Amino acid sequence: MISNLEYRLNFFTDAVIQPFLTALIELTLWIAIFATASSDTIGGFTKDFYLAYALWTAFVGRITASWMYEFRMLEEIDSGSINGLLVRPMSFFEYYLSQLMGYKAITSILSLLVPLLLIQVFKLPTELSRIPMALLLITYYLVLVHSMSFVITSLGFHFNRIYSITTAKNLGLWLLSGELIPLDLLPSPYREWLLMLPFSSAVYVPVAYITGRAGSELLVQGFVSITWGLAFFGVLGFFMWRWGLRKYVGTGA
Amino acid sequence: MGLVIQTQNLSRTFKTYEKPEGFAASLRGFWNRKYVEKTALAPTTLTIESGQIIGLVGANGAGKTTLLKLLSGLIHPTSGEAQVLGYKPWERNNQFLRRMSILLGQKNQLWWDISPLDSFALLAEIYDLDRTIAKKRVQELAELLDCVHVLKTQLRRLSLGERMKMEIIGSLLHEPDVLFLDEPTIGLDIVAQSTIRKFLADYVKSKGPTVILTSHYMDDIAKLADRLLLISKGSIVYDGTVSQFVSQAELAQKVSFGLPDPLTHDVPLLGEFVLGAGAQTFSLQVPTHQLAPVLSKVTALENVTDLKIEEADFEDVIRTFLEKESRVLSTGRDLKS
Repeated sequence: MISNLEYRLNFFTDAVIQPFLTALIELTLWIAIFATASSDTIGGFTKDFYLAYALWTAFVGRITASWMYEFRMLEEIDSGSINGLLVRPMSFFEYYLSQLMGYKAITSILSLLVPLLLIQVFKLPTELSRIPMALLLITYYLVLVHSMSFVITSLGFHFNRIYSITTAKNLGLWLLSGELIPLDLLPSPYREWLLMLPFSSAVYVPVAYITGRAGSELLVQGFVSITWGLAFFGVLGFFMWRWGLRKYVGTGA
Repeated sequence: MGLVIQTQNLSRTFKTYEKPEGFAASLRGFWNRKYVEKTALAPTTLTIESGQIIGLVGANGAGKTTLLKLLSGLIHPTSGEAQVLGYKPWERNNQFLRRMSILLGQKNQLWWDISPLDSFALLAEIYDLDRTIAKKRVQELAELLDCVHVLKTQLRRLSLGERMKMEIIGSLLHEPDVLFLDEPTIGLDIVAQSTIRKFLADYVKSKGPTVILTSHYMDDIAKLADRLLLISKGSIVYDGTVSQFVSQAELAQKVSFGLPDPLTHDVPLLGEFVLGAGAQTFSLQVPTHQLAPVLSKVTALENVTDLKIEEADFEDVIRTFLEKESRVLSTGRDLKS
Protein backbone atom coordinates (compact mmCIF):
# COMPACT_ATOMS: atom_id res chain seq x y z
CA MET A 1 0.00 0.00 0.00
CA ILE A 2 2.87 2.33 0.87
CA SER A 3 4.25 1.76 -2.62
CA ASN A 4 1.16 3.34 -4.19
CA LEU A 5 1.65 6.49 -2.16
CA GLU A 6 5.25 6.81 -3.39
CA TYR A 7 3.97 8.06 -6.73
CA ARG A 8 1.92 11.16 -5.98
CA LEU A 9 0.72 12.01 -9.48
CA ASN A 10 -0.52 8.49 -10.13
CA PHE A 11 -2.25 8.37 -6.77
CA PHE A 12 -3.98 11.73 -7.28
CA THR A 13 -5.11 10.76 -10.78
CA ASP A 14 -6.49 7.44 -9.57
CA ALA A 15 -8.19 8.80 -6.47
CA VAL A 16 -9.62 12.06 -7.79
CA ILE A 17 -9.24 12.77 -11.50
CA GLN A 18 -10.43 9.41 -12.86
CA PRO A 19 -13.64 9.26 -10.77
CA PHE A 20 -14.27 12.93 -11.49
CA LEU A 21 -14.08 12.28 -15.24
CA THR A 22 -16.31 9.22 -14.92
CA ALA A 23 -18.87 11.29 -13.04
CA LEU A 24 -18.74 13.97 -15.73
CA ILE A 25 -19.40 11.40 -18.47
CA GLU A 26 -22.29 9.78 -16.59
CA LEU A 27 -23.87 13.13 -15.71
CA THR A 28 -23.63 14.29 -19.33
CA LEU A 29 -25.29 11.07 -20.47
CA TRP A 30 -28.27 11.39 -18.11
CA ILE A 31 -28.68 15.12 -18.82
CA ALA A 32 -28.81 14.27 -22.55
CA ILE A 33 -31.33 11.47 -21.97
CA PHE A 34 -33.66 13.71 -19.97
CA ALA A 35 -33.29 16.57 -22.47
CA THR A 36 -34.88 14.39 -25.14
CA ALA A 37 -37.22 12.37 -22.92
CA SER A 38 -40.98 12.78 -23.33
CA SER A 39 -41.62 12.53 -19.60
CA ASP A 40 -40.15 14.12 -16.45
CA THR A 41 -39.58 10.68 -14.95
CA ILE A 42 -37.95 7.44 -16.12
CA GLY A 43 -38.88 4.28 -14.26
CA GLY A 44 -40.65 6.42 -11.69
CA PHE A 45 -37.62 8.59 -10.81
CA THR A 46 -36.92 12.21 -11.72
CA LYS A 47 -33.83 13.63 -13.36
CA ASP A 48 -32.32 14.60 -9.99
CA PHE A 49 -32.42 10.98 -8.84
CA TYR A 50 -30.56 9.89 -11.95
CA LEU A 51 -27.97 12.63 -11.58
CA ALA A 52 -27.44 11.65 -7.96
CA TYR A 53 -27.21 8.00 -9.02
CA ALA A 54 -24.70 8.85 -11.76
CA LEU A 55 -22.61 10.94 -9.41
CA TRP A 56 -22.43 8.33 -6.65
CA THR A 57 -21.99 5.47 -9.13
CA ALA A 58 -18.85 7.05 -10.53
CA PHE A 59 -17.21 7.10 -7.12
CA VAL A 60 -18.58 3.89 -5.63
CA GLY A 61 -17.76 2.04 -8.87
CA ARG A 62 -14.15 3.25 -8.62
CA ILE A 63 -13.89 1.98 -5.08
CA THR A 64 -15.32 -1.47 -5.77
CA ALA A 65 -13.42 -2.10 -9.01
CA SER A 66 -10.14 -3.91 -8.56
CA TRP A 67 -8.14 -4.34 -11.71
CA MET A 68 -4.86 -2.85 -10.43
CA TYR A 69 -4.22 -5.39 -7.69
CA GLU A 70 -5.45 -8.26 -9.84
CA PHE A 71 -2.95 -7.27 -12.54
CA ARG A 72 -0.23 -7.10 -9.91
CA MET A 73 -1.08 -10.51 -8.51
CA LEU A 74 -0.99 -12.03 -11.99
CA GLU A 75 2.25 -10.21 -12.71
CA GLU A 76 3.80 -11.71 -9.56
CA ILE A 77 3.21 -15.19 -10.97
CA ASP A 78 4.16 -14.31 -14.55
CA SER A 79 7.45 -12.74 -13.56
CA GLY A 80 8.26 -15.09 -10.67
CA SER A 81 8.43 -12.25 -8.16
CA ILE A 82 5.92 -14.29 -6.16
CA ASN A 83 8.91 -16.42 -5.09
CA GLY A 84 9.85 -13.71 -2.62
CA LEU A 85 6.39 -13.98 -1.03
CA LEU A 86 6.00 -17.75 -1.08
CA VAL A 87 9.11 -18.26 1.03
CA ARG A 88 7.85 -15.96 3.78
CA PRO A 89 5.52 -16.99 6.62
CA MET A 90 2.53 -15.15 5.23
CA SER A 91 -0.59 -15.67 3.19
CA PHE A 92 -0.61 -14.32 -0.37
CA PHE A 93 -4.37 -13.79 -0.10
CA GLU A 94 -4.09 -11.75 3.11
CA TYR A 95 -1.04 -9.87 1.89
CA TYR A 96 -2.89 -8.52 -1.13
CA LEU A 97 -6.19 -8.10 0.73
CA SER A 98 -4.48 -5.83 3.25
CA GLN A 99 -2.90 -3.83 0.43
CA LEU A 100 -6.24 -3.53 -1.37
CA MET A 101 -8.10 -2.47 1.77
CA GLY A 102 -5.43 0.01 2.79
CA TYR A 103 -5.32 1.63 -0.61
CA LYS A 104 -9.10 1.69 -0.99
CA ALA A 105 -9.51 3.24 2.46
CA ILE A 106 -7.24 6.14 1.60
CA THR A 107 -8.56 6.71 -1.94
CA SER A 108 -12.15 6.45 -0.71
CA ILE A 109 -11.70 9.19 1.87
CA LEU A 110 -10.30 11.47 -0.79
CA SER A 111 -12.62 10.58 -3.63
CA LEU A 112 -15.82 10.68 -1.57
CA LEU A 113 -15.25 14.34 -0.83
CA VAL A 114 -16.15 15.18 -4.42
CA PRO A 115 -19.71 13.74 -4.53
CA LEU A 116 -20.35 15.02 -1.01
CA LEU A 117 -19.49 18.49 -2.22
CA LEU A 118 -21.38 18.26 -5.52
CA ILE A 119 -24.65 17.00 -4.00
CA GLN A 120 -24.64 20.03 -1.71
CA VAL A 121 -23.97 22.41 -4.60
CA PHE A 122 -26.59 20.90 -6.96
CA LYS A 123 -29.05 19.87 -4.23
CA LEU A 124 -29.23 16.27 -5.42
CA PRO A 125 -31.13 13.65 -3.40
CA THR A 126 -28.84 11.88 -0.93
CA GLU A 127 -29.54 10.50 2.53
CA LEU A 128 -26.33 11.27 4.35
CA SER A 129 -27.24 9.14 7.38
CA ARG A 130 -27.22 6.06 5.13
CA ILE A 131 -23.65 6.55 3.96
CA PRO A 132 -21.92 4.64 6.84
CA MET A 133 -23.98 1.46 6.27
CA ALA A 134 -23.46 1.72 2.52
CA LEU A 135 -19.70 2.02 3.09
CA LEU A 136 -19.82 -1.04 5.31
CA LEU A 137 -21.50 -2.99 2.49
CA ILE A 138 -18.88 -1.71 0.04
CA THR A 139 -16.07 -2.80 2.37
CA TYR A 140 -17.62 -6.26 2.69
CA TYR A 141 -17.98 -6.43 -1.09
CA LEU A 142 -14.26 -5.64 -1.47
CA VAL A 143 -13.47 -8.92 0.28
CA LEU A 144 -15.57 -10.66 -2.38
CA VAL A 145 -13.83 -8.69 -5.13
CA HIS A 146 -10.51 -9.84 -3.79
CA SER A 147 -11.71 -13.45 -3.56
CA MET A 148 -12.65 -13.31 -7.25
CA SER A 149 -9.25 -11.81 -8.05
CA PHE A 150 -7.62 -14.64 -6.13
CA VAL A 151 -9.44 -17.23 -8.26
CA ILE A 152 -8.35 -15.52 -11.49
CA THR A 153 -4.81 -15.14 -10.15
CA SER A 154 -4.69 -18.88 -9.44
CA LEU A 155 -5.23 -19.46 -13.16
CA GLY A 156 -1.93 -17.65 -13.68
CA PHE A 157 -0.10 -20.78 -12.50
CA HIS A 158 -1.46 -22.64 -15.54
CA PHE A 159 -1.67 -19.90 -18.18
CA ASN A 160 0.64 -16.97 -18.88
CA ARG A 161 -0.49 -13.45 -19.71
CA ILE A 162 -4.18 -13.77 -18.88
CA TYR A 163 -4.75 -10.09 -18.13
CA SER A 164 -7.58 -10.09 -20.67
CA ILE A 165 -9.64 -12.23 -18.26
CA THR A 166 -9.50 -9.37 -15.75
CA THR A 167 -10.69 -6.94 -18.40
CA ALA A 168 -13.51 -9.27 -19.49
CA LYS A 169 -14.57 -9.84 -15.87
CA ASN A 170 -14.67 -6.11 -15.18
CA LEU A 171 -16.78 -5.52 -18.30
CA GLY A 172 -19.23 -8.15 -17.07
CA LEU A 173 -19.34 -6.57 -13.63
CA TRP A 174 -19.92 -3.17 -15.22
CA LEU A 175 -23.30 -4.46 -16.36
CA LEU A 176 -24.09 -6.80 -13.43
CA SER A 177 -23.26 -4.23 -10.78
CA GLY A 178 -25.57 -1.56 -12.13
CA GLU A 179 -22.75 0.80 -12.97
CA LEU A 180 -23.87 1.04 -16.58
CA ILE A 181 -27.57 1.58 -15.84
CA PRO A 182 -29.58 1.35 -12.61
CA LEU A 183 -30.75 -2.24 -12.21
CA ASP A 184 -34.30 -1.12 -11.37
CA LEU A 185 -34.70 -0.07 -15.00
CA LEU A 186 -34.31 -3.68 -16.17
CA PRO A 187 -37.47 -5.70 -16.87
CA SER A 188 -38.59 -8.44 -14.54
CA PRO A 189 -37.41 -11.19 -13.94
CA TYR A 190 -33.87 -10.05 -14.95
CA ARG A 191 -33.97 -7.29 -12.37
CA GLU A 192 -34.75 -9.76 -9.55
CA TRP A 193 -32.12 -12.21 -10.77
CA LEU A 194 -29.41 -9.56 -10.89
CA LEU A 195 -30.39 -8.23 -7.47
CA MET A 196 -29.97 -11.71 -6.03
CA LEU A 197 -26.40 -11.89 -7.29
CA PRO A 198 -23.72 -10.43 -5.02
CA PHE A 199 -22.35 -8.24 -7.83
CA SER A 200 -25.26 -5.78 -7.47
CA SER A 201 -23.73 -4.84 -4.11
CA ALA A 202 -20.77 -3.33 -5.94
CA VAL A 203 -22.72 -0.29 -7.15
CA TYR A 204 -26.48 -0.55 -7.44
CA VAL A 205 -27.38 -1.58 -3.89
CA PRO A 206 -25.22 0.97 -2.00
CA VAL A 207 -25.97 3.80 -4.45
CA ALA A 208 -29.71 3.08 -4.56
CA TYR A 209 -29.68 2.98 -0.75
CA ILE A 210 -27.77 6.29 -0.44
CA THR A 211 -29.89 8.08 -3.02
CA GLY A 212 -33.19 6.80 -1.63
CA ARG A 213 -34.15 4.56 -4.56
CA ALA A 214 -34.21 1.52 -2.26
CA GLY A 215 -34.69 0.75 1.41
CA SER A 216 -32.72 -1.16 4.02
CA GLU A 217 -34.21 -4.54 3.01
CA LEU A 218 -32.13 -4.36 -0.18
CA LEU A 219 -29.04 -3.57 1.88
CA VAL A 220 -29.62 -6.64 4.05
CA GLN A 221 -30.11 -8.73 0.89
CA GLY A 222 -26.78 -7.33 -0.29
CA PHE A 223 -24.96 -8.54 2.83
CA VAL A 224 -26.55 -11.99 2.47
CA SER A 225 -25.71 -12.38 -1.21
CA ILE A 226 -22.09 -11.28 -0.62
CA THR A 227 -21.80 -13.93 2.09
CA TRP A 228 -22.92 -16.61 -0.37
CA GLY A 229 -20.51 -15.25 -2.95
CA LEU A 230 -17.67 -15.31 -0.44
CA ALA A 231 -18.40 -18.92 0.43
CA PHE A 232 -18.40 -19.90 -3.24
CA PHE A 233 -15.31 -17.98 -4.38
CA GLY A 234 -13.51 -18.71 -1.10
CA VAL A 235 -13.76 -22.47 -1.52
CA LEU A 236 -13.01 -22.26 -5.25
CA GLY A 237 -9.98 -20.05 -4.62
CA PHE A 238 -8.63 -22.30 -1.86
CA PHE A 239 -8.55 -25.36 -4.10
CA MET A 240 -7.41 -23.54 -7.23
CA TRP A 241 -4.52 -21.95 -5.33
CA ARG A 242 -3.38 -25.32 -3.95
CA TRP A 243 -3.65 -26.85 -7.41
CA GLY A 244 -1.74 -23.93 -8.89
CA LEU A 245 1.10 -24.20 -6.39
CA ARG A 246 1.56 -27.86 -7.31
CA LYS A 247 2.04 -26.80 -10.92
CA TYR A 248 4.23 -23.79 -10.20
CA VAL A 249 7.75 -23.97 -11.59
CA GLY A 250 9.36 -21.14 -9.61
CA THR A 251 9.67 -18.90 -12.66
CA GLY A 252 12.79 -16.86 -13.14
CA ALA A 253 14.77 -17.99 -10.12
CA MET B 1 25.48 -32.44 14.98
CA GLY B 2 21.92 -33.30 13.90
CA LEU B 3 20.66 -33.69 10.38
CA VAL B 4 19.00 -30.54 9.08
CA ILE B 5 18.31 -31.56 5.50
CA GLN B 6 17.47 -35.04 4.25
CA THR B 7 16.28 -36.03 0.81
CA GLN B 8 15.28 -39.43 -0.51
CA ASN B 9 15.17 -39.87 -4.28
CA LEU B 10 14.00 -36.28 -4.64
CA SER B 11 13.40 -35.44 -8.28
CA ARG B 12 11.75 -32.86 -10.48
CA THR B 13 10.91 -32.83 -14.15
CA PHE B 14 9.51 -29.89 -16.12
CA LYS B 15 7.23 -30.06 -19.13
CA THR B 16 7.85 -27.30 -21.63
CA TYR B 17 6.06 -26.25 -24.82
CA GLU B 18 8.26 -26.48 -27.89
CA LYS B 19 7.18 -24.05 -30.56
CA PRO B 20 8.55 -24.20 -34.08
CA GLU B 21 9.35 -20.91 -35.79
CA GLY B 22 6.75 -18.85 -37.64
CA PHE B 23 3.19 -17.61 -37.75
CA ALA B 24 1.71 -20.86 -39.13
CA ALA B 25 3.26 -22.78 -36.23
CA SER B 26 1.70 -20.30 -33.79
CA LEU B 27 -1.73 -20.97 -35.31
CA ARG B 28 -1.18 -24.73 -35.23
CA GLY B 29 -0.25 -24.33 -31.56
CA PHE B 30 -3.90 -23.56 -30.78
CA TRP B 31 -4.84 -27.21 -31.21
CA ASN B 32 -1.62 -29.12 -31.54
CA ARG B 33 1.20 -28.44 -29.12
CA LYS B 34 4.36 -30.43 -28.71
CA TYR B 35 5.67 -30.73 -25.19
CA VAL B 36 9.07 -31.89 -24.05
CA GLU B 37 9.71 -33.27 -20.60
CA LYS B 38 13.10 -32.45 -19.10
CA THR B 39 14.66 -33.80 -15.97
CA ALA B 40 15.91 -30.86 -13.93
CA LEU B 41 16.80 -33.00 -10.94
CA ALA B 42 17.30 -36.75 -11.13
CA PRO B 43 16.41 -38.78 -8.01
CA THR B 44 18.74 -37.37 -5.37
CA THR B 45 19.45 -38.65 -1.90
CA LEU B 46 21.55 -36.55 0.42
CA THR B 47 21.93 -35.51 4.03
CA ILE B 48 23.27 -32.26 5.42
CA GLU B 49 24.25 -31.74 9.02
CA SER B 50 23.58 -28.69 11.11
CA GLY B 51 26.07 -25.86 10.74
CA GLN B 52 27.59 -27.09 7.47
CA ILE B 53 28.27 -24.74 4.58
CA ILE B 54 27.61 -26.54 1.33
CA GLY B 55 28.95 -25.24 -1.96
CA LEU B 56 26.62 -26.38 -4.75
CA VAL B 57 28.37 -26.13 -8.10
CA GLY B 58 27.30 -27.00 -11.62
CA ALA B 59 26.91 -25.63 -15.12
CA ASN B 60 23.88 -23.53 -16.08
CA GLY B 61 20.83 -25.77 -16.11
CA ALA B 62 22.54 -28.52 -14.14
CA GLY B 63 19.84 -28.50 -11.44
CA LYS B 64 21.32 -26.35 -8.66
CA THR B 65 18.50 -23.84 -8.46
CA THR B 66 15.88 -26.57 -8.84
CA LEU B 67 17.33 -28.31 -5.78
CA LEU B 68 17.24 -25.03 -3.83
CA LYS B 69 13.68 -24.32 -4.94
CA LEU B 70 12.61 -27.77 -3.77
CA LEU B 71 14.36 -27.48 -0.41
CA SER B 72 12.95 -24.02 0.23
CA GLY B 73 9.41 -25.13 -0.66
CA LEU B 74 8.98 -22.95 -3.73
CA ILE B 75 8.09 -25.91 -5.92
CA HIS B 76 6.73 -29.42 -5.45
CA PRO B 77 8.81 -32.46 -6.42
CA THR B 78 7.80 -34.88 -9.16
CA SER B 79 8.79 -37.74 -6.87
CA GLY B 80 10.73 -38.46 -3.70
CA GLU B 81 10.78 -36.97 -0.24
CA ALA B 82 12.61 -34.22 1.60
CA GLN B 83 12.75 -32.98 5.17
CA VAL B 84 14.24 -29.62 6.07
CA LEU B 85 14.32 -28.82 9.80
CA GLY B 86 11.84 -31.67 10.18
CA TYR B 87 9.30 -30.20 7.75
CA LYS B 88 8.25 -31.08 4.22
CA PRO B 89 9.30 -27.84 2.53
CA TRP B 90 6.55 -27.64 -0.10
CA GLU B 91 3.85 -27.81 2.59
CA ARG B 92 5.13 -24.31 3.43
CA ASN B 93 4.41 -24.57 7.14
CA ASN B 94 4.82 -21.13 8.73
CA GLN B 95 7.07 -22.53 11.46
CA PHE B 96 9.40 -23.85 8.76
CA LEU B 97 9.32 -20.60 6.78
CA ARG B 98 10.22 -18.62 9.92
CA ARG B 99 13.37 -20.69 10.33
CA MET B 100 14.74 -20.58 6.81
CA SER B 101 15.62 -18.01 4.22
CA ILE B 102 16.41 -18.07 0.54
CA LEU B 103 18.29 -15.38 -1.31
CA LEU B 104 17.87 -15.45 -5.06
CA GLY B 105 20.67 -13.35 -6.48
CA GLN B 106 18.91 -12.84 -9.79
CA LYS B 107 15.60 -11.81 -8.29
CA ASN B 108 14.55 -8.90 -6.09
CA GLN B 109 12.75 -10.09 -3.00
CA LEU B 110 12.45 -6.72 -1.29
CA TRP B 111 9.90 -4.18 -2.42
CA TRP B 112 11.07 -2.24 -5.45
CA ASP B 113 9.14 0.98 -4.86
CA ILE B 114 9.90 1.63 -1.22
CA SER B 115 13.03 2.20 0.86
CA PRO B 116 14.85 -0.76 2.42
CA LEU B 117 13.92 0.56 5.87
CA ASP B 118 10.21 0.29 4.98
CA SER B 119 10.84 -3.19 3.56
CA PHE B 120 12.62 -4.30 6.73
CA ALA B 121 9.81 -2.91 8.91
CA LEU B 122 7.35 -4.95 6.85
CA LEU B 123 9.54 -8.05 7.15
CA ALA B 124 9.72 -7.55 10.91
CA GLU B 125 5.91 -7.65 10.98
CA ILE B 126 5.77 -10.71 8.74
CA TYR B 127 8.24 -12.60 10.94
CA ASP B 128 6.68 -11.31 14.19
CA LEU B 129 9.95 -9.71 15.28
CA ASP B 130 10.18 -7.16 18.03
CA ARG B 131 10.41 -3.79 16.25
CA THR B 132 13.21 -2.43 18.42
CA ILE B 133 15.28 -5.59 18.08
CA ALA B 134 14.66 -5.69 14.32
CA LYS B 135 15.75 -2.06 13.92
CA LYS B 136 18.90 -2.73 15.91
CA ARG B 137 19.66 -5.80 13.81
CA VAL B 138 19.19 -3.86 10.56
CA GLN B 139 21.58 -1.21 11.82
CA GLU B 140 24.21 -3.81 12.81
CA LEU B 141 24.00 -5.70 9.53
CA ALA B 142 24.07 -2.47 7.51
CA GLU B 143 27.17 -1.32 9.36
CA LEU B 144 28.91 -4.63 8.70
CA LEU B 145 28.03 -4.36 5.02
CA ASP B 146 28.91 -0.66 4.92
CA CYS B 147 25.57 0.42 3.50
CA VAL B 148 23.87 2.47 6.24
CA HIS B 149 23.76 5.51 3.94
CA VAL B 150 21.33 3.88 1.47
CA LEU B 151 18.77 2.49 3.92
CA LYS B 152 16.33 5.35 3.26
CA THR B 153 16.68 5.38 -0.53
CA GLN B 154 14.07 3.69 -2.75
CA LEU B 155 15.34 0.23 -3.68
CA ARG B 156 14.90 0.92 -7.40
CA ARG B 157 17.43 3.76 -7.17
CA LEU B 158 20.22 1.63 -5.70
CA SER B 159 23.12 0.06 -7.58
CA LEU B 160 23.23 -3.71 -8.05
CA GLY B 161 25.78 -4.12 -5.27
CA GLU B 162 23.78 -1.98 -2.85
CA ARG B 163 20.59 -3.86 -3.70
CA MET B 164 22.29 -7.17 -3.04
CA LYS B 165 23.45 -5.95 0.36
CA MET B 166 19.86 -4.95 1.15
CA GLU B 167 18.62 -8.37 0.02
CA ILE B 168 21.17 -10.01 2.31
CA ILE B 169 19.99 -7.94 5.28
CA GLY B 170 16.39 -8.85 4.43
CA SER B 171 17.20 -12.54 4.30
CA LEU B 172 19.09 -12.52 7.61
CA LEU B 173 16.80 -10.26 9.60
CA HIS B 174 14.99 -13.16 11.28
CA GLU B 175 18.24 -15.09 11.90
CA PRO B 176 17.34 -18.23 9.93
CA ASP B 177 18.63 -21.67 10.90
CA VAL B 178 18.91 -22.66 7.25
CA LEU B 179 20.05 -20.28 4.57
CA PHE B 180 19.86 -20.93 0.83
CA LEU B 181 22.06 -18.53 -1.13
CA ASP B 182 21.61 -18.71 -4.89
CA GLU B 183 24.31 -16.65 -6.62
CA PRO B 184 24.64 -13.95 -3.94
CA THR B 185 27.53 -12.24 -5.74
CA ILE B 186 26.35 -12.52 -9.33
CA GLY B 187 27.10 -9.49 -11.48
CA LEU B 188 28.93 -7.64 -8.71
CA ASP B 189 32.33 -5.99 -9.04
CA ILE B 190 35.35 -7.48 -7.32
CA VAL B 191 35.17 -5.14 -4.32
CA ALA B 192 31.48 -5.84 -3.68
CA GLN B 193 32.04 -9.59 -4.14
CA SER B 194 34.83 -9.53 -1.61
CA THR B 195 32.80 -7.45 0.91
CA ILE B 196 29.85 -9.82 0.69
CA ARG B 197 32.08 -12.89 0.86
CA LYS B 198 33.80 -11.60 3.99
CA PHE B 199 30.48 -10.61 5.54
CA LEU B 200 28.98 -14.06 4.90
CA ALA B 201 32.05 -15.80 6.31
CA ASP B 202 31.88 -13.70 9.51
CA TYR B 203 28.11 -14.10 9.80
CA VAL B 204 28.23 -17.88 9.42
CA LYS B 205 31.06 -18.09 11.95
CA SER B 206 29.14 -16.07 14.54
CA LYS B 207 25.57 -17.37 14.02
CA GLY B 208 26.28 -20.89 12.72
CA PRO B 209 23.36 -21.44 10.29
CA THR B 210 23.34 -24.31 7.82
CA VAL B 211 24.06 -22.82 4.41
CA ILE B 212 23.68 -24.07 0.86
CA LEU B 213 25.47 -21.73 -1.50
CA THR B 214 25.51 -21.72 -5.28
CA SER B 215 27.83 -19.44 -7.16
CA HIS B 216 29.57 -19.14 -10.48
CA TYR B 217 32.50 -17.52 -8.69
CA MET B 218 34.64 -20.35 -7.42
CA ASP B 219 36.29 -18.04 -4.92
CA ASP B 220 32.95 -17.90 -3.10
CA ILE B 221 32.87 -21.68 -2.86
CA ALA B 222 36.57 -22.17 -2.08
CA LYS B 223 36.56 -19.58 0.70
CA LEU B 224 33.17 -20.30 2.28
CA ALA B 225 32.22 -23.93 1.74
CA ASP B 226 33.35 -26.78 3.92
CA ARG B 227 31.60 -29.34 1.72
CA LEU B 228 31.29 -29.40 -2.05
CA LEU B 229 28.40 -30.85 -4.05
CA LEU B 230 28.96 -31.00 -7.79
CA ILE B 231 25.81 -31.36 -9.81
CA SER B 232 25.65 -32.29 -13.45
CA LYS B 233 22.67 -33.08 -15.70
CA GLY B 234 20.43 -33.11 -12.63
CA SER B 235 22.56 -35.58 -10.66
CA ILE B 236 25.05 -35.10 -7.84
CA VAL B 237 28.35 -36.35 -9.23
CA TYR B 238 30.68 -35.37 -6.40
CA ASP B 239 30.16 -35.00 -2.65
CA GLY B 240 33.21 -34.18 -0.56
CA THR B 241 35.50 -31.36 0.46
CA VAL B 242 36.99 -28.79 -1.89
CA SER B 243 40.54 -29.93 -1.16
CA GLN B 244 39.66 -33.59 -1.76
CA PHE B 245 38.08 -32.66 -5.08
CA VAL B 246 41.14 -30.78 -6.25
CA SER B 247 43.43 -33.60 -5.18
CA GLN B 248 41.28 -36.27 -6.87
CA ALA B 249 40.85 -34.33 -10.10
CA GLU B 250 43.20 -35.01 -12.96
CA LEU B 251 45.67 -32.28 -12.16
CA ALA B 252 46.53 -29.97 -14.94
CA GLN B 253 49.20 -27.32 -15.26
CA LYS B 254 48.53 -24.02 -16.91
CA VAL B 255 51.15 -23.34 -19.61
CA SER B 256 51.05 -19.82 -21.01
CA PHE B 257 53.36 -18.11 -23.50
CA GLY B 258 53.50 -15.58 -26.30
CA LEU B 259 54.96 -15.27 -29.78
CA PRO B 260 56.36 -12.13 -31.43
CA ASP B 261 53.84 -12.35 -34.33
CA PRO B 262 50.40 -13.94 -34.81
CA LEU B 263 50.52 -17.45 -36.31
CA THR B 264 49.79 -17.64 -40.02
CA HIS B 265 48.50 -21.20 -39.82
CA ASP B 266 47.44 -23.83 -37.23
CA VAL B 267 50.39 -25.42 -35.43
CA PRO B 268 49.74 -28.88 -33.96
CA LEU B 269 51.68 -29.47 -30.75
CA LEU B 270 50.63 -32.80 -29.35
CA GLY B 271 47.35 -34.69 -29.54
CA GLU B 272 44.47 -32.28 -28.81
CA PHE B 273 46.80 -29.31 -28.34
CA VAL B 274 46.77 -27.15 -31.46
CA LEU B 275 47.85 -23.48 -31.63
CA GLY B 276 45.25 -21.68 -33.72
CA ALA B 277 46.09 -19.47 -36.69
CA GLY B 278 45.89 -15.73 -35.94
CA ALA B 279 46.64 -16.04 -32.20
CA GLN B 280 49.71 -14.55 -30.57
CA THR B 281 49.26 -15.47 -26.87
CA PHE B 282 48.33 -18.94 -25.63
CA SER B 283 47.12 -20.57 -22.41
CA LEU B 284 46.91 -24.36 -22.28
CA GLN B 285 45.61 -26.67 -19.53
CA VAL B 286 48.05 -29.56 -19.79
CA PRO B 287 47.65 -32.78 -17.79
CA THR B 288 50.74 -33.48 -15.70
CA HIS B 289 51.71 -36.59 -17.67
CA GLN B 290 51.74 -34.59 -20.93
CA LEU B 291 53.61 -31.59 -19.54
CA ALA B 292 57.12 -32.62 -20.62
CA PRO B 293 56.33 -33.43 -24.30
CA VAL B 294 54.12 -30.30 -24.65
CA LEU B 295 56.83 -28.10 -23.15
CA SER B 296 59.47 -29.51 -25.49
CA LYS B 297 57.22 -28.69 -28.46
CA VAL B 298 56.57 -25.17 -27.16
CA THR B 299 60.23 -24.38 -26.52
CA ALA B 300 61.02 -25.66 -30.01
CA LEU B 301 58.97 -22.77 -31.43
CA GLU B 302 61.00 -19.72 -32.41
CA ASN B 303 61.28 -16.71 -30.08
CA VAL B 304 58.83 -17.88 -27.42
CA THR B 305 58.24 -15.13 -24.82
CA ASP B 306 56.73 -14.97 -21.31
CA LEU B 307 56.67 -18.72 -20.84
CA LYS B 308 54.95 -19.55 -17.53
CA ILE B 309 53.89 -22.79 -15.88
CA GLU B 310 51.33 -22.52 -13.07
CA GLU B 311 49.67 -25.06 -10.81
CA ALA B 312 45.96 -25.38 -11.65
CA ASP B 313 43.75 -23.88 -8.93
CA PHE B 314 40.23 -24.83 -7.78
CA GLU B 315 38.61 -22.60 -10.37
CA ASP B 316 40.63 -24.20 -13.18
CA VAL B 317 39.71 -27.68 -12.01
CA ILE B 318 36.02 -26.80 -11.79
CA ARG B 319 36.11 -25.10 -15.18
CA THR B 320 37.65 -28.20 -16.73
CA PHE B 321 35.03 -30.33 -15.02
CA LEU B 322 32.15 -28.15 -16.25
CA GLU B 323 33.51 -28.02 -19.78
CA LYS B 324 33.54 -31.79 -19.88
CA GLU B 325 29.95 -32.02 -18.70
CA SER B 326 27.27 -31.66 -21.33
CA ARG B 327 24.95 -28.72 -20.83
CA VAL B 328 21.99 -30.72 -22.14
CA LEU B 329 19.93 -31.89 -19.19
CA SER B 330 18.42 -34.93 -20.81
CA THR B 331 17.47 -36.16 -24.23
CA GLY B 332 13.87 -35.27 -23.44
CA ARG B 333 10.79 -37.31 -24.10
CA ASP B 334 8.24 -36.06 -26.59
CA LEU B 335 4.74 -35.69 -25.27
CA LYS B 336 1.58 -34.76 -27.07
CA SER B 337 -0.82 -32.32 -25.47
